[in-house]
Amino acid sequence: MSESADVVVVGGGILGCSVALHLATAMPTARIVVLDRGPIAGATSGRCMGHLMVTPDTKEEYAFSHTSIRMWAELQEEIGGFDYNPTGALYLADEPEDLELLPILQKQFADCGDKADILDQKQLRDMEPGLAHDLPGALFYEGDGVVLPMTSCSAMLRLGQRRNPKLEVRPGTEVTGFDGVGSRITAVRTKNGVIKTENAVIACGVWSPAVGKLAGIPALPIVPRAGNLAITAHHATPILRQLLEVSYIRFAHGAAKVDPWKTDEDKGGHAVNMQPQSAGGCLIGSTRQFRGFDTTLNRELLHRSLLRAQRYAPGLADLPIVRTWVGLRPYSVDKHPFVGPWPQTDGLWICSGHEGLGISLSMISGHLIAAQMTKTQCEVDPTSWLPRRIL
Amino acid sequence: MSAPTCETPATIDADVGIVGAGPGGMAAALRIAEAGLSVVILDEGSRPGGQIFRQLPDGFVHANPPAEPPSHDAGHDLLHAISGATVRIEQRATVWDATPPRGDEPGRLWFEQGSASRLLRCKAIVLAPGALDRCVPFPGWTLPGVITAGAAQVMVRGYGIKPGARAVVAGSGPLLLPTVTALASAGVKVVAALEAAPRIAALRALPGVLRSGARLREAMFYARQLWRTGVTLQFSHAVFAAEGDGCVQRAVIGKLDREGNPIRSSAKSIDVDVVCTGYGLVPSIEIGQRLGCKAVWNEARGGWHIEALSFGATNVERVFAVGEIAGIGGSEVAIAEGHATGAMVAGILQQRPVLSALRDRATSVRRAADAMLRAFVVPKGVFSLAGDDTIVCRCEDVSAACVRDAARLHGDSLRAIKMGCRAGMGPCQGRMCTPNVQAIATRGSCQQWDEPVAQVPLKPVRTQTILSAPTK
Repeated sequence: MSESADVVVVGGGILGCSVALHLATAMPTARIVVLDRGPIAGATSGRCMGHLMVTPDTKEEYAFSHTSIRMWAELQEEIGGFDYNPTGALYLADEPEDLELLPILQKQFADCGDKADILDQKQLRDMEPGLAHDLPGALFYEGDGVVLPMTSCSAMLRLGQRRNPKLEVRPGTEVTGFDGVGSRITAVRTKNGVIKTENAVIACGVWSPAVGKLAGIPALPIVPRAGNLAITAHHATPILRQLLEVSYIRFAHGAAKVDPWKTDEDKGGHAVNMQPQSAGGCLIGSTRQFRGFDTTLNRELLHRSLLRAQRYAPGLADLPIVRTWVGLRPYSVDKHPFVGPWPQTDGLWICSGHEGLGISLSMISGHLIAAQMTKTQCEVDPTSWLPRRIL
Repeated sequence: MSAPTCETPATIDADVGIVGAGPGGMAAALRIAEAGLSVVILDEGSRPGGQIFRQLPDGFVHANPPAEPPSHDAGHDLLHAISGATVRIEQRATVWDATPPRGDEPGRLWFEQGSASRLLRCKAIVLAPGALDRCVPFPGWTLPGVITAGAAQVMVRGYGIKPGARAVVAGSGPLLLPTVTALASAGVKVVAALEAAPRIAALRALPGVLRSGARLREAMFYARQLWRTGVTLQFSHAVFAAEGDGCVQRAVIGKLDREGNPIRSSAKSIDVDVVCTGYGLVPSIEIGQRLGCKAVWNEARGGWHIEALSFGATNVERVFAVGEIAGIGGSEVAIAEGHATGAMVAGILQQRPVLSALRDRATSVRRAADAMLRAFVVPKGVFSLAGDDTIVCRCEDVSAACVRDAARLHGDSLRAIKMGCRAGMGPCQGRMCTPNVQAIATRGSCQQWDEPVAQVPLKPVRTQTILSAPTK
């Protein structure tokens, strides 16, 4: 038994769903099939936070992230249903020396032509009354927001199916291999049968290297980076906005030196990130640690981020925690995601390796895949994300 | 930087730690204490007894004591014995994490008690956490005035509260009778008692009843009580909907076909202010799962339960399971298993032989209970009672239509549906909706739900409790 499709998207997380949506938009009559070995949003996208984050570290990163977050706002307008909440983000200072980081970050936004405001102690209290009163100040950036990643996946697929009724979603379908003739993809093999296709997109997050190997990509440098999370019951959240420690920028997207292969030595970072959920709960992350695919809770790290969270929002102490868990970020060793064609195999595409920014960057990533596949104009220059850089 | 602590966290040590002071936990504790070992029970209630032998809060007595079936004599005996025994019971204790004993390392049970975060260390763990009511959603089931069979018992027996004036009791299984009795003895007019299973179920249940003298006495008692209240149990009937403006004012009741599908033409409206619903019980297995115990599926025993072998042993060394966690069976089973397991735990710790008669008795009452409960498996048609806008997950306000849509898009596993619509992600940690979401998504064709995953905390506890938990 075999069937055919114009494109097969392997992976039903936020990136696979965004790729499917953008392909469905660009090719409204093409046959597009999304496969996932488990449920849609069943792995990292069902275990992560929902930060829509503009990163101003470089002008290029700013362009990617800012465009993506604009596309998220458009997705909300078009379909909604994923608890979109444009709260903005507060970068909190704890110690007085953290205050020095605020103008640095503010200048980064300014250099990108955007703006963020430094708040003193009183302005911060007015904005977030639930925060500890002794916090010295913060930087407020208006452009960030929060979404619920799992139902974002549903929304992307629903909108995709509205634009292209031939978009098909198949959870519970494991890919077992890829067929090729010469250097050209001809089919995707699954446990449930073969799908003939000339285009396959690998959007498998932390499992992309394994799936890539099936397609002949030798070693995609993507490594799981674990995060411990907790969420409070939704009768009360002490905060109204997305909160990050300003020292977060030291850990998260570059600065700190880490070696992802030395899992034993990695004690893990733990700059806290808190998100109010529209249902009323407060989501608390985000620790970072390399330890393979191990998803057992690291109590010590979780405690460290809970303590930090409680330092900023003391009301958290009495709130009930309903759940704790571990999610795996797909960390790309050179810190850039892989979005684009695999140059050694025609018809093979990669969309993976976004580490902690997969939700934020999913919209632009899906767009870039669709634009490159249909040879139309990309909203942002895709060069620095192209997979060919590892060859 | 140090966290503000409310109280010094206290670690206690005992030979044996027991979770739950219901019949199974009390019986096990008595055997263990008799052998001269130290035993601590962690119990969520304010007084021992569990759900079935629930006592009024300290210092209160019933002005009009509710009628009690003969099985409650055993409860009184246990409560009396435990009050005179050297058993330490920590009340209002919520266990939220646990690790099993390993070699010389003790087993650990972390619990929240008021504002304190505490730890019990012990050489062996006996799990007797009981069960939860099983609800099957129908239109209007979230209206105030719709209560579970268990809640009716809690209100009447545990607090001396009359839940309303006129009630309909509906659902399936042997718990309907005590519910009718409890309500009637509290002065509630029971207008109708509806059993979803067909009449033949009662006949199929008979051998299980006849095999046990105690259960036969129990059945006779309820027959008398029903006769006294003038209620007849109507088989193949259910509540189709609860209606009212802000609270229950009417119930739509009617007949079910062989598969349990509502026969809409038979529907009629009755005036009630209480709808009491119960489709049996679901074992509380999460603490067992957390300790590494294997769960197995048995529909007659309420679905997923911890596999308990001879004398309540699980696959995890020195972790035992008695009563409902090992499959729904009722208080008689829990007591028999509690005695057998208690004796075995003492035997293991003191390296003494144990009477096999205790195990044989536990096995025999368990078999009888299985035979009876097999007759009351929830008929699949009742899952079509829920309309598109009927809420399935109350914590997250997820409707049946959303559940079906999520299953279509994300997959029809428990996790897939959860990811697609948030069902099960709220403060009850999925306890209420887990048995229903897949059945409702597939309109009854998938009645075996996936084994839920136990996550820490096992019950919601304060952030501070987690942060100040004793680590050793």
